[in-house]
Amino acid sequence: MEKKFKYILWGIGAVMLILFFWWLMKDPTSQFAESKPGEDNRGSDTARLGPPVVIGENFQLFGTATSVYKGTWTRFRGADYDNIVKNSLPLTNSWSGNDPEIKWSVELGEGHAGPAIYEGKVYLMDYDEAKREDALRCFSLEDGKELWRRSYKVSLKRNHGMSRTVPAVTADYVLTVGPRCHVMCVKRETGDFLWGLDLVQQYQTEVPLWFTGQCPMIDHNKAILAPGGKSLLIAVDCATGKVLWETPNPANLKMSHSSIMPWTFKGKKMYVYSAVGGVVGISAEGADEGKILWQSTAWNHSVVAPAPVCFPDGKVFLTAGYGAGSMMIKVIPSGAEYKVEILQQYLPKDGMACEQQTPVIWDGMMFGIQPKDAGPLRNQLICVNPADVTKVIWTSGKEGRFGLGPYLIADQKMFLLSDDGTLTMIKPDSKNYVQMAQKKLFDGHDAWGPMALADGYLLLRDSKNLYCVNVSQ
Amino acid sequence: MSDKKEPKSIERRRFIRGGMQMALAVSLGGVAGFSLLKSTSKELVWQLDPFKCVQCGRCATECVMTPSAVKCVHAYDLCGYCDLCGGYLKPDSNARSTAAENQLCPTAAIKRKYIEEPYFEYVIEENLCIGCAKCVAGCTSFGNGSLHLQVRHDRCENCNDCAIARVCPADAFQRVPVDNPYLIKGGFTKGGTSKDQLKKG
Repeated sequence: MEKKFKYILWGIGAVMLILFFWWLMKDPTSQFAESKPGEDNRGSDTARLGPPVVIGENFQLFGTATSVYKGTWTRFRGADYDNIVKNSLPLTNSWSGNDPEIKWSVELGEGHAGPAIYEGKVYLMDYDEAKREDALRCFSLEDGKELWRRSYKVSLKRNHGMSRTVPAVTADYVLTVGPRCHVMCVKRETGDFLWGLDLVQQYQTEVPLWFTGQCPMIDHNKAILAPGGKSLLIAVDCATGKVLWETPNPANLKMSHSSIMPWTFKGKKMYVYSAVGGVVGISAEGADEGKILWQSTAWNHSVVAPAPVCFPDGKVFLTAGYGAGSMMIKVIPSGAEYKVEILQQYLPKDGMACEQQTPVIWDGMMFGIQPKDAGPLRNQLICVNPADVTKVIWTSGKEGRFGLGPYLIADQKMFLLSDDGTLTMIKPDSKNYVQMAQKKLFDGHDAWGPMALADGYLLLRDSKNLYCVNVSQ
Repeated sequence: MSDKKEPKSIERRRFIRGGMQMALAVSLGGVAGFSLLKSTSKELVWQLDPFKCVQCGRCATECVMTPSAVKCVHAYDLCGYCDLCGGYLKPDSNARSTAAENQLCPTAAIKRKYIEEPYFEYVIEENLCIGCAKCVAGCTSFGNGSLHLQVRHDRCENCNDCAIARVCPADAFQRVPVDNPYLIKGGFTKGGTSKDQLKKG
């Protein structure tokens, strides 16, 4: 009996041992499928292989106009790159009845490109879907009539809008960048074609997601552009189209939607560019013009739209959407070189962050609209002190949510456009949110294009229309 | 005597026949009435309003079903078919690819398919979806909000005391008529709420 019991125990032990080894050998993840790159069968961008683009090939003259207006808004963020209108006409302090009145509107191709204004003329880079053309359109600020159009064939597919850049305008030139990185320079008054440059062909630029958002810069009659392919930055003579200098791109930084900002730090003028893959400061003058002075790849995000905000004390504020958040860096002179120190880095819910627009500095404070992933502060206008951009001084509150739309400051007033076409006027105050007026001006959709203001006329757009709104007294 | 017996026999037969007819009529009427009552009843089932949903993740953890009866559905008429899809890719992902490290969904329940440059289609594999709403949060923050949650009634037990409704911080759960059980975005935004629209999705 005792022997039989022993056999049973041995038997149970053997079964247990077999089960144990079976359990040990079994792969519980055998039913799992791996997720590897390439399972979406991503194809190649066949549009790049389309017919060659002849930049500036077409011109249409619709009329002429003389203007009494002398105001200007010459580029993205205005003449001083700060989104503040200087020497503005007195603007109305409140709206009632039909105020502010829409003076005129024109239909545009789907996009977010903003206008520039020069002495009564409005310049806007549009895309004509019917003709499949990039078109620089010149309108009269007086009545919105189109005066001329310089265009060229280029194949695009809708991708959350097509056009999205603001021309740079001087007394002599208009400089544009099209959705597929085609640069065009024309004479401002007549629209006569001067030169064109295909950044994809010439510099192996990778067209950013949703097409180009980089707004071109003209600095002392030099076109300053950031191809981000073979050359990080280039300077082109506006008169001749001759390339004056090219900055090598050893870190292989890519073109972003952000625009180049000029900055003078401790007497040295430089261009600051927030690229995909890093941020860089490039000499803008002297013997080392075009040379990289400093760069940091610590700022590395796949989609960057806001421009860098540079401060006189060496700090540079960087922000981006799609979960990136923000970073405050400090550029520190070190002998003949510069060092970059990271002061703050955080997610959107933890401080000032922007997805598309660039924060504006007013009275020493920074104002910006939080992105949707900023937690309770989503879509609210907030005010922070640049000394600590994670400490929120005030917000526009739960009832004051905006969107991805633009904002600018003029005559002690800040104008904010919501995605749906609601215009809000506030007093830019360093202590409190002070709303002065609000009105839904039009049934807008994705009203994200940058604003422009000159001679008391505020130019706004949604995805398909441009509106001229009289905000003067 | 015989004259008296015959009428009695006829009355009994008539009585039985009449009784049977009455019983049949009552039965048929009852069944018909009950069917009519059932077809027009206001029976309710649980559903969540996608416009109130705050993507807290509790649908995945609180449902008595494992995995949850709440699933992500896709309103294709709202979708932007983006390459950089906030519902598919982790925020600030290294690459826009199908690699596991770039995917936001913890169970790889969203399948990404290239259509043509620059468009991609995103399809939900419901058997893998656990209703965690991570994709919904991403799509709402960075996209058009076409990905959203719905209680799937082929899985839901329709508990009287819905465990998710009890804890939903946005009060998004509500009882809806059984013959119109979905609150779908896309068509929903234009006034339509039907199973057909869900099937289209």
